[in-house]
Amino acid sequence: MQKLLNEQAMVLMGLFLIGSGLYASTFAQSFSNVATAQSPVFFPRTILMLWMGLTLIALVQAMHQNEASAPVASLGRVALLLVTSVVYTNVIGHEGFFLPSVVFAAMSLHLFGIRNPIVVALYAVVVPGALVLLFNHMLSMPLPVSRFTHLF
Amino acid sequence: MLSSLPDAFAILMTLEGLLVLVLGTALGIVLGAMPGIGSTVAVAMVLPFTLSMGQAPAIMLLLAVYAGSVYGGSIAAILINTPGTPQSAATCLDGYPMAQRGEAGLALGWATVASVIGGLVSAVVLIFAAPQLAAFALQFGPIETFTLILLGMTCIVSVSTGSLVKGLLAGMIGIFLSTVGGDPIVGEMRFTFNNWQLFAGFNLLAVVIGVFALSEVLMRASAQLSTASELVDFKGVTLPRLAMWKGRRRTLGKSVLIGNMIGVLPGTGAATAAFISYAEGRRSSPNGDKFGTGEPDGIIASEAANNAVTGGALVPTMALGIPGDAITAVMLATLTLHGITPGPKLVEDNPTLIAAIFAGFFVINLLLLPLGLVLSRVAAPILRVKEAFMMTAIVLLCAVGVYFVRGNPFDLAVMGAAGVAGFILRRQGFPMAPLVIGMVLGPTLEITLRQGLILTDGSFWAFFYGHPIALALGLISVFALIFPLLRQFMSMQRRSL
Repeated sequence: MQKLLNEQAMVLMGLFLIGSGLYASTFAQSFSNVATAQSPVFFPRTILMLWMGLTLIALVQAMHQNEASAPVASLGRVALLLVTSVVYTNVIGHEGFFLPSVVFAAMSLHLFGIRNPIVVALYAVVVPGALVLLFNHMLSMPLPVSRFTHLF
Repeated sequence: MLSSLPDAFAILMTLEGLLVLVLGTALGIVLGAMPGIGSTVAVAMVLPFTLSMGQAPAIMLLLAVYAGSVYGGSIAAILINTPGTPQSAATCLDGYPMAQRGEAGLALGWATVASVIGGLVSAVVLIFAAPQLAAFALQFGPIETFTLILLGMTCIVSVSTGSLVKGLLAGMIGIFLSTVGGDPIVGEMRFTFNNWQLFAGFNLLAVVIGVFALSEVLMRASAQLSTASELVDFKGVTLPRLAMWKGRRRTLGKSVLIGNMIGVLPGTGAATAAFISYAEGRRSSPNGDKFGTGEPDGIIASEAANNAVTGGALVPTMALGIPGDAITAVMLATLTLHGITPGPKLVEDNPTLIAAIFAGFFVINLLLLPLGLVLSRVAAPILRVKEAFMMTAIVLLCAVGVYFVRGNPFDLAVMGAAGVAGFILRRQGFPMAPLVIGMVLGPTLEITLRQGLILTDGSFWAFFYGHPIALALGLISVFALIFPLLRQFMSMQRRSL
């Protein structure tokens, strides 16, 4: 049981579940009735079968070798940066480029160990601001703007 | 293709052409010198900005950043004992001891000249070898093309870092991602789950930047935070005098040869070439016993080989549409984004474009000398920049770049998801190059397989009867897959004895 609870085995099991879920989804949809090889799902099904087979081999290997993953220096830092990155890349479309970038830059600098608030604030405002100025106002290649103003 | 060289030089000698070559090489040197960025991230970061350019300047910009970054990696390797790129890891072994002796300028001089010679020779190899290989590959039908892609992928997987199974699995994930969206033959939607954003499939660039650049930032965050490194005394590059080359030309020649040969093999990469060349240099150089103590031959062996790989890796990329490594996979993605179909017909259909790219690559390698001399002084203070500032800037620039491709915020979400997935997979030892290469080659693999099955009335095994090229490529693919397993099995047997 211990062999199945390590990080590598859990990632591989997750991959297997994703692969089998996608494979199952090909039967839930209706596709045109053409010869097997010319069916739109022939190639993806072949690839997904190889995906599942290789995941099982990798899982057996992982359980046999029982190798530990590289240690994480600070789990909190990585988790926060992961969440921040995902939120950041998802909110740019709604809130514009500048405001989420200021928040992201401040968070990222803090997580990477910059503690001087003046440096953090300066960088977090100046770098995204310079990008907005360059792309929106000089190159006329606009980045998304916020709902509050069309300027940034 | 050689007859197109005058037209190609006409493209290069425009203001845009020259600016792209000079600025791209300069940017590559500076980015390559920054530890943590590396050639792949540097090329991926610049890629979105090429979309507003013409085809030739776009590819030349990426080539300039590529070649510049491979050289730039040696600056950090010599001055702070931290390779800017993995390709320069072998340069640390003798470069840094020389710098500690107060000869940092001369060490960079050896690295500069060796890099320039390695790069120039590889450009000549590229110019002459790629068209020949492409001409041969023109005989290929769908069956041969299918087995060729299969061979390329198995080579890449079998030599990629991490286990063979994980490399193959990463390749399958990449191929699967390429199937999302419209079917290439009958046009029906697959795996879109009624989300119209997926009708055109995943944006390749968003995935590439996510798995390489964003995941790299997350990998850095998961490791111990680094502090700014101590810089050795450095007052500028000193080029070695001609007399100092006595007894070293053989090492240089061998290293250039090794770099070119390894570069042509799909999947090997510059880091492998640099270490093989370094090992060969230590074995055969008259100064071999001094390797590791600040011996110039060690720098020459590593730098000449890693720069010679750049042109070699472009041979299968340009001639066959099979990328040699992750960086050339990004280049292929750029060609696709610019509406050019990679493959054997690329050289025949676009002779002027290809000639411009090849001639541009030669000029880029020439530019490494003057720009290297000037920029190594500029790049040295940049090495003191804290990791936090660089990593944050990478994410901001990647977001800007990905948004530009289609102006679609959904691509940013894809980049975020690819970054997280790339981070999780990289932590478990999954190589990312097969994933990207799978995504690039996936559509061609599917179309050629289905066309081949039409030709053979649905019999896969008939691919190999009456198709000697396909049979040979298929057998080599099987060997490429079995060889690492055999090697692993034999080493296990040896250990148990």
